Amino acid sequence: MNLRGGWALIRATWLSWVQHRGFFFLLAFGWMIPPLIYLFVWSTAAGGGAIGGFTRGQFVAYYLILILVNQLTYSQTNWTVGDVIRYGGMNQLLLRPLSPFFDAVSSEVAGKVVYMLFVIPATALLALVLRPEAEITMTNALAFVPAVLMAWALRFLWGYALALLAFWATRADALLALQDALVFLLAGQVAPTSLLPGALQTVSTVLPFRYMVGFPVEVLLGQLAPAGVLTGLAYQAGWLLIAWLAFRAMWHHGVRRYAAVGG
Amino acid sequence: MRYVRLIRSFVTVAFQNVLAYQLNFWVSLLYSILNLGTGVLAVVVLFSQVEAIRGWTPASTLALLGSYLTLGALRQLFIGPSLEALAGMDGEIWSGTFDFTLIRPVDVQFLASVRHWRPLALLDLALGLGVLVTAALRMGTTLTLVDVFAFVISLVAGLVILYAILLAFAGLVFWSPGFLFTWLFDALFQMARYPVGLYPGWLRLILTWVVPVGVMTTVPAQALSGDLSVGALIGSLVLAGMLFAAATWLFRTGLRRYASASS
Repeated sequence: MNLRGGWALIRATWLSWVQHRGFFFLLAFGWMIPPLIYLFVWSTAAGGGAIGGFTRGQFVAYYLILILVNQLTYSQTNWTVGDVIRYGGMNQLLLRPLSPFFDAVSSEVAGKVVYMLFVIPATALLALVLRPEAEITMTNALAFVPAVLMAWALRFLWGYALALLAFWATRADALLALQDALVFLLAGQVAPTSLLPGALQTVSTVLPFRYMVGFPVEVLLGQLAPAGVLTGLAYQAGWLLIAWLAFRAMWHHGVRRYAAVGG
Repeated sequence: MRYVRLIRSFVTVAFQNVLAYQLNFWVSLLYSILNLGTGVLAVVVLFSQVEAIRGWTPASTLALLGSYLTLGALRQLFIGPSLEALAGMDGEIWSGTFDFTLIRPVDVQFLASVRHWRPLALLDLALGLGVLVTAALRMGTTLTLVDVFAFVISLVAGLVILYAILLAFAGLVFWSPGFLFTWLFDALFQMARYPVGLYPGWLRLILTWVVPVGVMTTVPAQALSGDLSVGALIGSLVLAGMLFAAATWLFRTGLRRYASASS
Protein backbone atom coordinates (compact mmCIF):
# COMPACT_ATOMS: atom_id res chain seq x y z
CA MET A 1 0.00 0.00 0.00
CA ASN A 2 1.49 3.28 -1.13
CA LEU A 3 -0.14 5.47 1.48
CA ARG A 4 2.01 8.57 0.97
CA GLY A 5 1.32 8.61 -2.75
CA GLY A 6 -2.36 8.02 -2.01
CA TRP A 7 -2.51 10.99 0.30
CA ALA A 8 -0.74 13.23 -2.22
CA LEU A 9 -3.28 12.22 -4.86
CA ILE A 10 -6.18 12.91 -2.50
CA ARG A 11 -4.86 16.38 -1.70
CA ALA A 12 -4.17 17.26 -5.32
CA THR A 13 -7.65 16.20 -6.45
CA TRP A 14 -9.34 18.05 -3.65
CA LEU A 15 -7.43 21.28 -4.31
CA SER A 16 -8.12 21.17 -8.02
CA TRP A 17 -11.83 20.54 -7.38
CA VAL A 18 -12.14 23.50 -5.05
CA GLN A 19 -10.91 25.66 -7.92
CA HIS A 20 -13.85 24.56 -10.05
CA ARG A 21 -16.34 25.01 -7.23
CA GLY A 22 -18.99 26.78 -9.29
CA PHE A 23 -19.57 23.62 -11.30
CA PHE A 24 -19.74 21.40 -8.23
CA PHE A 25 -22.02 23.79 -6.38
CA LEU A 26 -24.39 23.52 -9.31
CA LEU A 27 -24.29 19.72 -9.08
CA ALA A 28 -24.90 19.84 -5.35
CA PHE A 29 -27.83 22.21 -5.87
CA GLY A 30 -29.33 19.76 -8.37
CA TRP A 31 -29.05 16.86 -5.93
CA MET A 32 -30.69 18.88 -3.15
CA ILE A 33 -33.85 19.51 -5.11
CA PRO A 34 -35.61 16.09 -5.08
CA PRO A 35 -35.51 15.68 -1.27
CA LEU A 36 -36.46 19.34 -0.96
CA ILE A 37 -39.57 18.76 -3.09
CA TYR A 38 -40.68 15.92 -0.81
CA LEU A 39 -39.91 18.05 2.24
CA PHE A 40 -42.42 20.61 0.98
CA VAL A 41 -45.01 18.08 -0.17
CA TRP A 42 -45.02 16.12 3.09
CA SER A 43 -44.90 19.11 5.41
CA THR A 44 -47.81 20.68 3.52
CA ALA A 45 -49.68 17.37 3.70
CA ALA A 46 -49.11 17.21 7.47
CA GLY A 47 -50.38 20.77 7.93
CA GLY A 48 -51.29 21.29 11.57
CA GLY A 49 -51.66 17.56 12.32
CA ALA A 50 -49.46 14.53 11.94
CA ILE A 51 -48.98 11.78 9.38
CA GLY A 52 -47.71 8.43 10.63
CA GLY A 53 -46.24 10.14 13.71
CA PHE A 54 -44.57 12.93 11.77
CA THR A 55 -45.59 16.54 12.38
CA ARG A 56 -44.75 19.33 9.95
CA GLY A 57 -41.59 20.28 11.85
CA GLN A 58 -40.47 16.67 12.06
CA PHE A 59 -40.81 16.21 8.32
CA VAL A 60 -38.65 19.31 7.87
CA ALA A 61 -36.01 17.96 10.25
CA TYR A 62 -36.08 14.53 8.60
CA TYR A 63 -35.57 15.89 5.10
CA LEU A 64 -32.95 18.49 6.01
CA ILE A 65 -30.82 15.79 7.62
CA LEU A 66 -31.56 13.50 4.69
CA ILE A 67 -30.18 16.16 2.33
CA LEU A 68 -26.93 16.21 4.31
CA VAL A 69 -26.64 12.43 4.59
CA ASN A 70 -27.54 11.95 0.94
CA GLN A 71 -24.80 14.34 -0.07
CA LEU A 72 -22.29 12.72 2.29
CA THR A 73 -22.94 9.21 1.04
CA TYR A 74 -23.67 10.01 -2.61
CA SER A 75 -21.35 7.93 -4.74
CA GLN A 76 -20.30 9.76 -7.87
CA THR A 77 -17.75 7.02 -8.61
CA ASN A 78 -20.82 5.17 -9.64
CA TRP A 79 -20.78 6.99 -12.92
CA THR A 80 -17.20 8.15 -13.34
CA VAL A 81 -15.45 4.78 -12.97
CA GLY A 82 -17.64 3.27 -15.67
CA ASP A 83 -16.75 6.10 -18.04
CA VAL A 84 -13.06 5.75 -17.29
CA ILE A 85 -13.25 2.10 -18.28
CA ARG A 86 -15.38 2.73 -21.38
CA TYR A 87 -13.22 5.54 -22.73
CA GLY A 88 -9.92 3.84 -22.01
CA GLY A 89 -8.80 6.23 -19.27
CA MET A 90 -8.10 3.22 -17.09
CA ASN A 91 -4.78 2.79 -18.91
CA GLN A 92 -3.12 5.67 -17.12
CA LEU A 93 -4.54 4.69 -13.78
CA LEU A 94 -3.27 1.13 -14.11
CA LEU A 95 0.22 2.34 -14.95
CA ARG A 96 0.56 4.33 -11.75
CA PRO A 97 2.43 2.69 -8.89
CA LEU A 98 -0.77 3.00 -6.93
CA SER A 99 -4.05 1.12 -6.90
CA PRO A 100 -6.76 2.82 -9.04
CA PHE A 101 -8.87 2.46 -5.92
CA PHE A 102 -7.00 5.50 -4.56
CA ASP A 103 -8.14 7.50 -7.53
CA ALA A 104 -11.75 6.78 -6.64
CA VAL A 105 -11.12 7.54 -2.97
CA SER A 106 -9.44 10.83 -3.83
CA SER A 107 -12.31 12.10 -5.96
CA GLU A 108 -14.62 10.88 -3.21
CA VAL A 109 -12.87 13.00 -0.57
CA ALA A 110 -12.49 15.96 -2.92
CA GLY A 111 -16.16 15.77 -3.79
CA LYS A 112 -17.29 15.63 -0.19
CA VAL A 113 -15.19 18.67 0.72
CA VAL A 114 -16.50 20.76 -2.18
CA TYR A 115 -20.15 19.71 -1.89
CA MET A 116 -20.22 20.32 1.84
CA LEU A 117 -19.00 23.89 1.29
CA PHE A 118 -22.30 24.42 -0.49
CA VAL A 119 -24.72 22.06 1.20
CA ILE A 120 -24.03 22.93 4.84
CA PRO A 121 -24.72 26.68 4.49
CA ALA A 122 -27.70 25.97 2.22
CA THR A 123 -29.27 23.55 4.71
CA ALA A 124 -28.58 25.91 7.59
CA LEU A 125 -30.37 28.68 5.72
CA LEU A 126 -33.32 26.40 4.97
CA ALA A 127 -33.44 25.39 8.64
CA LEU A 128 -33.75 29.06 9.62
CA VAL A 129 -36.64 29.57 7.20
CA LEU A 130 -38.50 26.27 7.66
CA ARG A 131 -38.17 25.76 11.43
CA PRO A 132 -37.45 22.03 11.92
CA GLU A 133 -38.40 20.27 15.14
CA ALA A 134 -36.11 17.57 16.45
CA GLU A 135 -34.80 16.25 19.72
CA ILE A 136 -31.39 14.74 19.29
CA THR A 137 -30.10 12.75 22.26
CA MET A 138 -26.48 11.92 22.93
CA THR A 139 -27.08 8.17 22.44
CA ASN A 140 -28.69 8.72 19.06
CA ALA A 141 -25.92 11.04 17.98
CA LEU A 142 -23.35 8.40 18.95
CA ALA A 143 -25.24 5.65 17.09
CA PHE A 144 -25.46 7.96 14.07
CA VAL A 145 -21.69 7.97 13.61
CA PRO A 146 -21.23 4.27 12.72
CA ALA A 147 -24.54 4.31 10.81
CA VAL A 148 -23.50 7.16 8.53
CA LEU A 149 -19.95 5.82 8.06
CA MET A 150 -21.24 2.42 7.06
CA ALA A 151 -23.86 4.04 4.84
CA TRP A 152 -21.10 5.89 3.02
CA ALA A 153 -18.87 2.81 2.70
CA LEU A 154 -21.80 0.68 1.53
CA ARG A 155 -22.97 3.14 -1.11
CA PHE A 156 -19.41 3.72 -2.28
CA LEU A 157 -18.45 0.05 -2.62
CA TRP A 158 -21.82 -0.93 -4.06
CA GLY A 159 -21.58 1.84 -6.64
CA TYR A 160 -17.99 0.97 -7.48
CA ALA A 161 -18.86 -2.70 -7.94
CA LEU A 162 -21.78 -1.81 -10.23
CA ALA A 163 -19.58 0.56 -12.22
CA LEU A 164 -17.04 -2.24 -12.72
CA LEU A 165 -19.68 -4.07 -14.76
CA ALA A 166 -18.40 -1.80 -17.53
CA PHE A 167 -15.56 -4.31 -17.91
CA TRP A 168 -18.11 -6.76 -19.32
CA ALA A 169 -20.87 -4.66 -20.88
CA THR A 170 -20.62 -1.23 -22.47
CA ARG A 171 -24.07 -0.11 -21.44
CA ALA A 172 -23.83 -1.15 -17.81
CA ASP A 173 -24.84 2.39 -16.89
CA ALA A 174 -28.44 1.30 -17.46
CA LEU A 175 -28.17 -0.62 -14.18
CA LEU A 176 -27.04 2.54 -12.43
CA ALA A 177 -30.26 4.27 -13.46
CA LEU A 178 -32.19 1.35 -12.02
CA GLN A 179 -30.20 1.71 -8.81
CA ASP A 180 -30.98 5.42 -8.63
CA ALA A 181 -34.67 4.68 -9.01
CA LEU A 182 -34.52 2.13 -6.19
CA VAL A 183 -32.62 4.56 -3.95
CA PHE A 184 -35.27 7.18 -4.65
CA LEU A 185 -38.13 4.83 -3.75
CA LEU A 186 -36.70 2.65 -0.99
CA ALA A 187 -34.00 4.71 0.74
CA GLY A 188 -36.35 7.14 2.43
CA GLN A 189 -36.40 9.88 -0.19
CA VAL A 190 -39.91 9.73 -1.60
CA ALA A 191 -41.14 9.22 1.96
CA PRO A 192 -39.61 8.12 5.27
CA THR A 193 -39.51 4.31 4.97
CA SER A 194 -41.96 3.92 7.86
CA LEU A 195 -44.62 5.63 5.70
CA LEU A 196 -44.22 3.33 2.70
CA PRO A 197 -47.22 1.09 2.00
CA GLY A 198 -46.99 -2.56 3.18
CA ALA A 199 -45.01 -4.50 0.60
CA LEU A 200 -42.66 -1.65 -0.28
CA GLN A 201 -41.81 -1.22 3.39
CA THR A 202 -40.87 -4.87 3.80
CA VAL A 203 -38.73 -4.71 0.66
CA SER A 204 -37.01 -1.56 1.88
CA THR A 205 -36.03 -3.25 5.16
CA VAL A 206 -34.36 -6.15 3.40
CA LEU A 207 -32.65 -4.45 0.44
CA PRO A 208 -29.48 -2.39 0.97
CA PHE A 209 -30.83 0.97 -0.24
CA ARG A 210 -32.38 2.16 3.02
CA TYR A 211 -29.02 1.57 4.72
CA MET A 212 -27.33 3.97 2.30
CA VAL A 213 -29.41 7.05 3.14
CA GLY A 214 -32.56 6.79 5.23
CA PHE A 215 -31.36 4.59 8.08
CA PRO A 216 -28.77 7.00 9.59
CA VAL A 217 -31.37 9.79 9.49
CA GLU A 218 -33.89 7.64 11.36
CA VAL A 219 -31.20 6.76 13.92
CA LEU A 220 -30.23 10.38 14.53
CA LEU A 221 -33.80 11.55 14.96
CA GLY A 222 -34.61 8.74 17.39
CA GLN A 223 -37.34 7.18 15.27
CA LEU A 224 -36.16 3.65 15.97
CA ALA A 225 -36.30 1.56 19.14
CA PRO A 226 -32.89 0.34 20.40
CA ALA A 227 -33.61 -3.10 18.92
CA GLY A 228 -34.40 -1.48 15.56
CA VAL A 229 -31.11 0.40 15.62
CA LEU A 230 -29.15 -2.80 16.30
CA THR A 231 -30.97 -4.80 13.61
CA GLY A 232 -30.35 -1.95 11.19
CA LEU A 233 -26.66 -1.81 11.98
CA ALA A 234 -26.47 -5.58 11.52
CA TYR A 235 -28.15 -5.34 8.10
CA GLN A 236 -25.77 -2.54 7.20
CA ALA A 237 -22.72 -4.56 8.19
CA GLY A 238 -24.01 -7.58 6.30
CA TRP A 239 -24.61 -5.64 3.09
CA LEU A 240 -21.28 -3.90 3.49
CA LEU A 241 -19.54 -7.27 3.62
CA ILE A 242 -21.41 -8.46 0.53
CA ALA A 243 -20.56 -5.24 -1.33
CA TRP A 244 -16.89 -5.57 -0.36
CA LEU A 245 -16.71 -9.18 -1.56
CA ALA A 246 -18.50 -8.33 -4.79
CA PHE A 247 -16.16 -5.42 -5.38
CA ARG A 248 -13.08 -7.57 -4.75
CA ALA A 249 -14.26 -10.37 -7.00
CA MET A 250 -15.30 -8.05 -9.81
CA TRP A 251 -12.10 -6.08 -9.73
CA HIS A 252 -10.03 -9.26 -9.71
CA HIS A 253 -11.78 -10.80 -12.72
CA GLY A 254 -12.65 -7.60 -14.53
CA VAL A 255 -9.25 -6.04 -14.74
CA ARG A 256 -7.95 -9.12 -16.58
CA ARG A 257 -10.60 -8.68 -19.22
CA TYR A 258 -9.82 -5.02 -19.67
CA ALA A 259 -8.66 -4.15 -23.16
CA ALA A 260 -7.99 -0.48 -23.59
CA VAL A 261 -9.98 1.61 -26.02
CA GLY A 262 -9.07 4.99 -27.41
CA GLY A 263 -5.82 6.78 -27.96
CA MET B 1 -42.36 26.01 -46.44
CA ARG B 2 -38.61 25.91 -46.55
CA TYR B 3 -38.58 25.71 -42.77
CA VAL B 4 -40.96 22.78 -42.73
CA ARG B 5 -38.74 20.99 -45.23
CA LEU B 6 -35.71 21.66 -43.08
CA ILE B 7 -37.39 20.28 -39.98
CA ARG B 8 -38.39 17.18 -41.95
CA SER B 9 -34.80 16.50 -42.92
CA PHE B 10 -33.54 17.09 -39.37
CA VAL B 11 -36.06 14.53 -38.12
CA THR B 12 -35.16 12.01 -40.82
CA VAL B 13 -31.48 12.23 -39.97
CA ALA B 14 -32.27 11.78 -36.29
CA PHE B 15 -34.32 8.64 -37.00
CA GLN B 16 -31.57 7.15 -39.15
CA ASN B 17 -29.12 7.82 -36.36
CA VAL B 18 -31.28 6.09 -33.76
CA LEU B 19 -31.94 3.02 -35.89
CA ALA B 20 -28.21 2.32 -35.98
CA TYR B 21 -28.05 1.58 -32.26
CA GLN B 22 -30.44 -1.15 -31.19
CA LEU B 23 -29.22 -1.68 -27.67
CA ASN B 24 -29.62 2.01 -27.03
CA PHE B 25 -33.32 1.66 -27.76
CA TRP B 26 -33.79 -0.89 -24.98
CA VAL B 27 -31.74 1.16 -22.53
CA SER B 28 -33.85 4.22 -23.33
CA LEU B 29 -37.01 2.18 -22.88
CA LEU B 30 -35.76 1.14 -19.45
CA TYR B 31 -35.03 4.79 -18.55
CA SER B 32 -38.49 5.86 -19.69
CA ILE B 33 -40.20 3.13 -17.69
CA LEU B 34 -38.15 3.95 -14.59
CA ASN B 35 -39.05 7.61 -14.95
CA LEU B 36 -42.72 6.73 -15.23
CA GLY B 37 -42.60 4.15 -12.45
CA THR B 38 -40.92 6.39 -9.87
CA GLY B 39 -43.32 9.24 -10.70
CA VAL B 40 -46.45 7.10 -10.35
CA LEU B 41 -45.21 5.29 -7.23
CA ALA B 42 -44.40 8.64 -5.59
CA VAL B 43 -48.04 9.65 -6.07
CA VAL B 44 -49.26 6.27 -4.80
CA VAL B 45 -47.06 6.50 -1.67
CA LEU B 46 -48.23 10.04 -0.93
CA PHE B 47 -51.92 9.20 -1.22
CA SER B 48 -51.59 6.00 0.79
CA GLN B 49 -51.20 8.39 3.74
CA VAL B 50 -53.59 11.24 2.91
CA GLU B 51 -56.87 11.57 1.03
CA ALA B 52 -56.16 14.95 -0.56
CA ILE B 53 -53.74 17.83 -0.14
CA ARG B 54 -55.04 21.36 -0.51
CA GLY B 55 -57.78 20.16 -2.85
CA TRP B 56 -55.48 17.95 -4.95
CA THR B 57 -56.86 14.42 -5.24
CA PRO B 58 -54.93 11.37 -6.51
CA ALA B 59 -56.57 11.79 -9.94
CA SER B 60 -55.72 15.47 -10.35
CA THR B 61 -52.16 14.92 -9.06
CA LEU B 62 -51.84 12.16 -11.63
CA ALA B 63 -53.05 14.59 -14.30
CA LEU B 64 -50.31 16.95 -13.18
CA LEU B 65 -47.72 14.17 -13.38
CA GLY B 66 -48.98 13.40 -16.89
CA SER B 67 -48.54 17.04 -17.92
CA TYR B 68 -45.06 17.05 -16.41
CA LEU B 69 -44.03 13.88 -18.25
CA THR B 70 -45.55 15.10 -21.52
CA LEU B 71 -43.82 18.47 -21.36
CA GLY B 72 -40.56 16.80 -20.32
CA ALA B 73 -40.83 14.42 -23.29
CA LEU B 74 -41.49 17.26 -25.75
CA ARG B 75 -38.51 19.05 -24.33
CA GLN B 76 -36.30 15.99 -24.81
CA LEU B 77 -37.68 15.53 -28.31
CA PHE B 78 -36.09 18.63 -29.80
CA ILE B 79 -35.80 21.76 -27.63
CA GLY B 80 -33.46 20.16 -25.11
CA PRO B 81 -31.01 18.45 -27.51
CA SER B 82 -30.89 21.49 -29.82
CA LEU B 83 -30.21 24.06 -27.12
CA GLU B 84 -27.90 21.68 -25.27
CA ALA B 85 -25.76 21.36 -28.41
CA LEU B 86 -25.60 25.13 -28.45
CA ALA B 87 -25.13 26.13 -24.84
CA GLY B 88 -24.50 22.94 -22.88
CA MET B 89 -21.26 21.39 -21.77
CA ASP B 90 -18.76 21.61 -24.66
CA GLY B 91 -21.53 23.27 -26.65
CA GLU B 92 -21.00 25.30 -29.79
CA ILE B 93 -20.73 28.65 -28.01
CA TRP B 94 -18.17 27.17 -25.68
CA SER B 95 -16.06 25.58 -28.41
CA GLY B 96 -16.53 28.23 -31.09
CA THR B 97 -18.06 25.90 -33.68
CA PHE B 98 -21.11 28.15 -33.49
CA ASP B 99 -19.41 30.07 -36.31
CA PHE B 100 -20.52 27.37 -38.74
CA THR B 101 -24.10 27.65 -37.56
CA LEU B 102 -24.10 31.42 -37.96
CA ILE B 103 -23.04 31.37 -41.59
CA ARG B 104 -25.95 29.16 -42.67
CA PRO B 105 -28.59 31.05 -44.66
CA VAL B 106 -31.37 30.34 -42.15
CA ASP B 107 -32.68 32.20 -39.12
CA VAL B 108 -30.27 31.45 -36.27
CA GLN B 109 -32.88 31.12 -33.55
CA PHE B 110 -34.84 28.66 -35.68
CA LEU B 111 -31.77 26.60 -36.41
CA ALA B 112 -30.60 26.66 -32.80
CA SER B 113 -34.01 25.52 -31.53
CA VAL B 114 -34.99 22.66 -33.81
CA ARG B 115 -31.78 21.29 -35.27
CA HIS B 116 -31.28 18.19 -33.14
CA TRP B 117 -34.03 15.65 -32.51
CA ARG B 118 -34.12 12.75 -30.13
CA PRO B 119 -36.77 10.35 -31.48
CA LEU B 120 -36.49 8.07 -28.45
CA ALA B 121 -38.28 10.77 -26.46
CA LEU B 122 -41.41 9.60 -28.28
CA LEU B 123 -41.44 6.69 -25.81
CA ASP B 124 -41.67 9.18 -22.95
CA LEU B 125 -44.32 11.10 -24.84
CA ALA B 126 -46.45 7.98 -25.22
CA LEU B 127 -46.12 7.16 -21.52
CA GLY B 128 -46.91 10.75 -20.52
CA LEU B 129 -50.05 10.77 -22.66
CA GLY B 130 -50.96 7.40 -21.15
CA VAL B 131 -50.79 8.88 -17.66
CA LEU B 132 -52.98 11.79 -18.79
CA VAL B 133 -55.62 9.42 -20.18
CA THR B 134 -55.53 7.31 -17.00
CA ALA B 135 -55.93 10.44 -14.89
CA ALA B 136 -58.85 11.65 -17.01
CA LEU B 137 -60.58 8.26 -16.64
CA ARG B 138 -60.08 8.31 -12.88
CA MET B 139 -61.55 11.78 -12.43
CA GLY B 140 -64.98 10.21 -12.16
CA THR B 141 -66.59 13.08 -14.03
CA THR B 142 -67.22 13.22 -17.74
CA LEU B 143 -64.89 15.57 -19.52
CA THR B 144 -66.62 18.23 -21.56
CA LEU B 145 -65.22 19.35 -24.87
CA VAL B 146 -64.50 22.72 -23.27
CA ASP B 147 -62.31 21.07 -20.61
CA VAL B 148 -60.29 19.20 -23.22
CA PHE B 149 -59.94 22.34 -25.29
CA ALA B 150 -58.79 24.38 -22.27
CA PHE B 151 -56.37 21.59 -21.39
CA VAL B 152 -54.77 21.50 -24.84
CA ILE B 153 -54.48 25.29 -24.95
CA SER B 154 -52.89 25.47 -21.52
CA LEU B 155 -50.49 22.63 -22.30
CA VAL B 156 -49.39 24.45 -25.45
CA ALA B 157 -48.94 27.60 -23.36
CA GLY B 158 -46.87 25.50 -20.95
CA LEU B 159 -44.69 24.27 -23.80
CA VAL B 160 -44.13 27.83 -25.05
CA ILE B 161 -43.17 28.94 -21.52
CA LEU B 162 -40.79 25.99 -21.26
CA TYR B 163 -39.22 26.85 -24.60
CA ALA B 164 -38.92 30.53 -23.69
CA ILE B 165 -37.17 29.82 -20.38
CA LEU B 166 -34.78 27.36 -22.00
CA LEU B 167 -34.01 29.81 -24.79
CA ALA B 168 -33.41 32.60 -22.29
CA PHE B 169 -31.12 30.37 -20.23
CA ALA B 170 -29.27 29.35 -23.39
CA GLY B 171 -28.98 33.04 -24.35
CA LEU B 172 -27.42 33.88 -20.98
CA VAL B 173 -24.46 31.72 -22.00
CA PHE B 174 -23.37 34.54 -24.34
CA TRP B 175 -22.68 36.61 -21.24
CA SER B 176 -21.25 33.86 -19.12
CA PRO B 177 -19.86 31.07 -21.30
CA GLY B 178 -19.17 27.92 -19.38
CA PHE B 179 -21.91 28.33 -16.81
CA LEU B 180 -24.32 25.46 -17.25
CA PHE B 181 -27.59 27.38 -17.08
CA THR B 182 -29.50 24.42 -18.46
CA TRP B 183 -28.45 22.34 -15.47
CA LEU B 184 -29.77 25.01 -13.15
CA PHE B 185 -33.04 24.89 -15.01
CA ASP B 186 -33.15 21.07 -14.84
CA ALA B 187 -33.07 21.29 -11.07
CA LEU B 188 -35.86 23.86 -10.91
CA PHE B 189 -37.98 22.09 -13.55
CA GLN B 190 -38.35 19.08 -11.24
CA MET B 191 -40.42 21.27 -8.95
CA ALA B 192 -43.13 21.15 -11.62
CA ARG B 193 -43.79 17.54 -10.59
CA TYR B 194 -46.13 18.80 -7.87
CA PRO B 195 -48.83 21.49 -7.81
CA VAL B 196 -47.35 24.90 -7.19
CA GLY B 197 -49.93 25.37 -4.41
CA LEU B 198 -48.18 22.77 -2.26
CA TYR B 199 -45.07 24.89 -1.85
CA PRO B 200 -44.68 27.60 0.80
CA GLY B 201 -45.59 31.16 -0.17
CA TRP B 202 -42.15 32.53 -1.03
CA LEU B 203 -41.34 29.56 -3.23
CA ARG B 204 -44.75 29.77 -4.93
CA LEU B 205 -43.99 33.37 -5.86
CA ILE B 206 -40.66 32.35 -7.39
CA LEU B 207 -42.19 29.42 -9.27
CA THR B 208 -44.97 31.62 -10.65
CA TRP B 209 -43.23 34.89 -11.43
CA VAL B 210 -39.46 34.44 -11.53
CA VAL B 211 -38.99 31.03 -13.14
CA PRO B 212 -42.60 30.08 -13.93
CA VAL B 213 -42.13 26.31 -13.97
CA GLY B 214 -45.10 26.00 -11.63
CA VAL B 215 -47.50 27.46 -14.19
CA MET B 216 -46.46 24.99 -16.89
CA THR B 217 -47.99 21.93 -15.25
CA THR B 218 -50.39 23.26 -12.63
CA VAL B 219 -52.63 25.09 -15.11
CA PRO B 220 -53.12 22.13 -17.52
CA ALA B 221 -53.84 19.80 -14.60
CA GLN B 222 -56.45 22.21 -13.29
CA ALA B 223 -57.98 22.41 -16.75
CA LEU B 224 -58.31 18.65 -16.90
CA SER B 225 -59.89 18.52 -13.44
CA GLY B 226 -62.33 21.22 -14.52
CA ASP B 227 -61.38 23.76 -11.86
CA LEU B 228 -59.57 26.25 -14.04
CA SER B 229 -60.84 29.81 -14.16
CA VAL B 230 -60.96 31.62 -17.48
CA GLY B 231 -58.69 34.27 -15.98
CA ALA B 232 -55.95 31.75 -15.21
CA LEU B 233 -56.11 30.34 -18.74
CA ILE B 234 -55.83 33.78 -20.34
CA GLY B 235 -53.13 34.66 -17.83
CA SER B 236 -51.00 31.69 -18.80
CA LEU B 237 -51.43 32.52 -22.49
CA VAL B 238 -50.38 36.13 -21.92
CA LEU B 239 -47.43 34.95 -19.83
CA ALA B 240 -46.40 32.55 -22.59
CA GLY B 241 -46.53 35.32 -25.22
CA MET B 242 -44.58 37.76 -23.07
CA LEU B 243 -41.92 35.24 -22.14
CA PHE B 244 -41.51 34.18 -25.75
CA ALA B 245 -40.96 37.79 -26.83
CA ALA B 246 -38.58 38.51 -23.93
CA ALA B 247 -36.56 35.34 -24.50
CA THR B 248 -36.27 36.02 -28.22
CA TRP B 249 -35.05 39.52 -27.47
CA LEU B 250 -32.55 38.23 -24.92
CA PHE B 251 -31.24 35.58 -27.27
CA ARG B 252 -30.79 38.02 -30.15
CA THR B 253 -29.13 40.64 -27.94
CA GLY B 254 -26.78 37.96 -26.63
CA LEU B 255 -26.06 36.80 -30.14
CA ARG B 256 -24.52 40.19 -30.93
CA ARG B 257 -22.03 39.67 -28.13
CA TYR B 258 -20.80 36.41 -29.59
CA ALA B 259 -17.16 36.79 -30.53
CA SER B 260 -16.28 33.19 -31.39
CA ALA B 261 -13.78 31.17 -29.39
CA SER B 262 -10.65 29.28 -30.06
CA SER B 263 -8.14 27.32 -28.13
